[in-house]
Amino acid sequence: MSDSLATRFGSGQSVRRLEDPALVTGRGLYAADAPCEEALCLVLVRSSYAHARIVSIDTAAARAMPGVVAILTGADLAQAGVKPFPIEPAFKRPDGKPMAAPPRRALALDTVRYVGEPVVAVLATTRAEAQDAAAQVYVEYEELPVVADIERATAEDAPLVWPEATGNVAAEMRHGNAAATAAAFEAAAHRVRLKIVNQRLAPSPIEPRASLATIEPGTGRLVLRLSSQMPAGARNTLADAILGIPKEEVRVVVGDVGGGFGMKTGLYPEDAVVAYAARTLQRPVRWTAERSEEFLGAIHGRDLESDAELALDANGRVLALRVASRANVGAYATPTGIAIQLMIGPWVSTSIYDIQTVDLRIQAILTHRGSTGAYRGAGRPEAIYIIERLFDAAARQLAMDPAELRRRNMIRPEQMPYRNALGQTYDVGNFPSILDQGLALAEWNGFQERARDSARRGLLRGRGLATFLEWTGGNALEERVWVTVTPDGTIEIASATQAMGQGIATSYAQLVVDVFGVPFERIRILQGDTDRVNGFGSAGSRSLFTGGSAIRVAAETTLDLAKKLAADALEAPATDLEYRAGRFEVAGTDHGIDLFELAGRQTERRIFVDSSTKSSGPTWPNGCHVCEVEIDPDTGAVEVVAYASVNDVGRVVNPLIVRGQLDGGAVQGIGQALCERVVYDSETGQALTASFLDYALPRADIVKAFKTQLDQSIPSTNNILGVKGVGELGTIGATPAVVNAVLDALDRHGAREHLYSLQMPLTSEKVWRVLRGLSAEA
Amino acid sequence: MSTLLLLQFFPLFPMDQVIFQLNGQSVTAEVQARTLLVDVLRSLGRTGTHVGCDTSQCGACTVHVDGQAVKSCTVLALQVAGRAVTTIEGLAPATGLHPLQEAFSACHGLQCGFCTPGMIMTAACLLRDHPAPTDDEIRTAIEGNLCRCTGYVNIVEAVRTAAHALASGSKA
Repeated sequence: MSDSLATRFGSGQSVRRLEDPALVTGRGLYAADAPCEEALCLVLVRSSYAHARIVSIDTAAARAMPGVVAILTGADLAQAGVKPFPIEPAFKRPDGKPMAAPPRRALALDTVRYVGEPVVAVLATTRAEAQDAAAQVYVEYEELPVVADIERATAEDAPLVWPEATGNVAAEMRHGNAAATAAAFEAAAHRVRLKIVNQRLAPSPIEPRASLATIEPGTGRLVLRLSSQMPAGARNTLADAILGIPKEEVRVVVGDVGGGFGMKTGLYPEDAVVAYAARTLQRPVRWTAERSEEFLGAIHGRDLESDAELALDANGRVLALRVASRANVGAYATPTGIAIQLMIGPWVSTSIYDIQTVDLRIQAILTHRGSTGAYRGAGRPEAIYIIERLFDAAARQLAMDPAELRRRNMIRPEQMPYRNALGQTYDVGNFPSILDQGLALAEWNGFQERARDSARRGLLRGRGLATFLEWTGGNALEERVWVTVTPDGTIEIASATQAMGQGIATSYAQLVVDVFGVPFERIRILQGDTDRVNGFGSAGSRSLFTGGSAIRVAAETTLDLAKKLAADALEAPATDLEYRAGRFEVAGTDHGIDLFELAGRQTERRIFVDSSTKSSGPTWPNGCHVCEVEIDPDTGAVEVVAYASVNDVGRVVNPLIVRGQLDGGAVQGIGQALCERVVYDSETGQALTASFLDYALPRADIVKAFKTQLDQSIPSTNNILGVKGVGELGTIGATPAVVNAVLDALDRHGAREHLYSLQMPLTSEKVWRVLRGLSAEA
Repeated sequence: MSTLLLLQFFPLFPMDQVIFQLNGQSVTAEVQARTLLVDVLRSLGRTGTHVGCDTSQCGACTVHVDGQAVKSCTVLALQVAGRAVTTIEGLAPATGLHPLQEAFSACHGLQCGFCTPGMIMTAACLLRDHPAPTDDEIRTAIEGNLCRCTGYVNIVEAVRTAAHALASGSKA
């Protein structure tokens, strides 16, 4: 292998991304960019009521509008045999019966259950014509009682979102040992109890969803172009579950995806309507979401209310954790949304701490809101926020240093592999070491001087800590790769993971350079076409450790195969051959053959390998994040003035990309802490944050700099690369680090009375109120 | 005659013609009075200019009109009649990349790339008017451009890097 190539373009190098040239010149191919002049434009009429019976739909005026080709209602689709989205009943209700939620349809049938639910689809030759016609559709609704929040939904005699879900409880799960936990609390020297709200968030990738359905000439197959993280999953749901047609009749293609963050993991009702319309009309159909439709109809993240308690002994050793949570999963609860809160979050509820006695109870509550689902972290941010808030509150109560309290409770390296109280086994980790490094990087001991400097400028300074781990892999540890060496000089890697900005094509190409030693430009990464690749897709920070490991194995297998083929071609034993930088040579001679020429000599004019690899478990990346804030006491405005993190990410393929994931992820976590929240009116269920005017995304002034350190000394033992999934780690650590810093600042200033009335986002108004001895919210 | 029939014969939004310079070439487009500049640009195949929101917050649609950075979602197509419009596709010199495009890649100032054309167009205007901006001035200049992936720090670094490159003589 060429040393210079391996050192410059192989693993461990901050190689510039091969994705960039197209993207910086405006030559990306996002779903709405794909040209299709003849496509009909689909516009949806959405419900303006949170709960109502559809009395009638009058489309006569709309049909007469210029350019209108068809108008579809839920009744049309149901009559045509279009089925609702499937719900695998993986969880149970409190009475032991299977989980229950209303069936989610492509277009509403009889009843609407959240503001923004698609009701009517209008298809016209231009988008403007479809919009004009949609404004002429008259839907008559009979308003029904609304329960838009957990309090109202769980009140006695509350109106039901779905009859089978009595008490509006769709599902419930318990973990741990309630009796042992109760006993531990009885005996505890100290108890800490907090009400914690992980508020509802809108993932808000800047690219709105878009779909384009065309009919393939000749075969008549449906080709659906999506902005999606999981092309194969989308195809399977659409074909099997919704349209009831064989999978082979549907092809899903994905080009560039302008951010996913979990929001683009599943098939959406709009995609199903587009697909159905194209097949029925035998014409191409396209739909592009407006931003308001993203806020109304795309899945939301988080939305969990918890009553959380920690029991500690006199020395600050945690004896038990008890959390009772209610997750607001919306009306059309998705299996993913339920699993995230009932199971995935709980799996990391004790985090890096040696806490074996737990009692967790989580209920999924139906309300007349949009559905929740995966959003960066998916359950782990909620769980880690809870435990990190409890630790800081405990430190305050016990008058202990928050770092020292954590250290006292950390799982020690000699306890690895460690099986936590939820049955999850952490393979490796050195949490005390990461804490030490984090405190050093953050200059923890220099805080007092910085606080004095802030005070001289009239500002209140606080510091917050989060030490934590996270679970990665999405429970899908196997990946399949197809390697093709071609005579024209390329090595094509086909992978079913899906790019959405996280730079996996570059990282994969680096892994291929490791094995083959050929120039970077010769490597092609193919994704996003169900005709070529099928698999789980990208979510749960799985791509590098599952997909990358599969690529390493497949590449090595291909090289082994090529060596055997070269031996045949050169009429020499394979053991006599050496491979270097794209060429096989008989050792000690210059008799050899170029890898690509060898490919051309095969019957199929290629060297091809189809290889699957399964990682042996999740990876457990972990970190120590330290944040310092300054608060303006006159306005309550919070500024993040320092942010340092040490992250155990195992081996690193591309440091630039890994840092980008950590820092970009951290800003999403800071957004949850300080400014983001999806709001529904409690009385009417009206969506109040349906634009970037009302939903505050972090802007360029949110953070000036990050100090981000990577610890590569503890590789994961669950995959051959030793990497740990990094995509969600920054988001998970940032939220508690920032909130703990704000509370610390207020506490130091003496504003203790209503300290724990503060719930995210910590807006300036809330902070201002607490500074003045008022509860955070009126 | 009913209002609806009238609408069919006398459309509410008749077609108009707009002629303007697009990346140095004269183009003619059929538009309605209400057609947005971003939509006409995309219909002319310049899909590098993106639509990310509907309330003018996100800046993914930023282009230059007579050298000024504007959000093309908030400009009507007819407003650019006789004017010069530059999109991301028209930013690079004849060969190679504009220093901003180069710097965004070098500094990892993009991940999914969707906000990137708008960011670059805003930054290009900033650097032309303020060749040596402070970091705070850069942040203020891009406050109307939302990014969900990068967390902005690398974007600020990219603009700073491009400013240095331009100051030391790289072609803009």
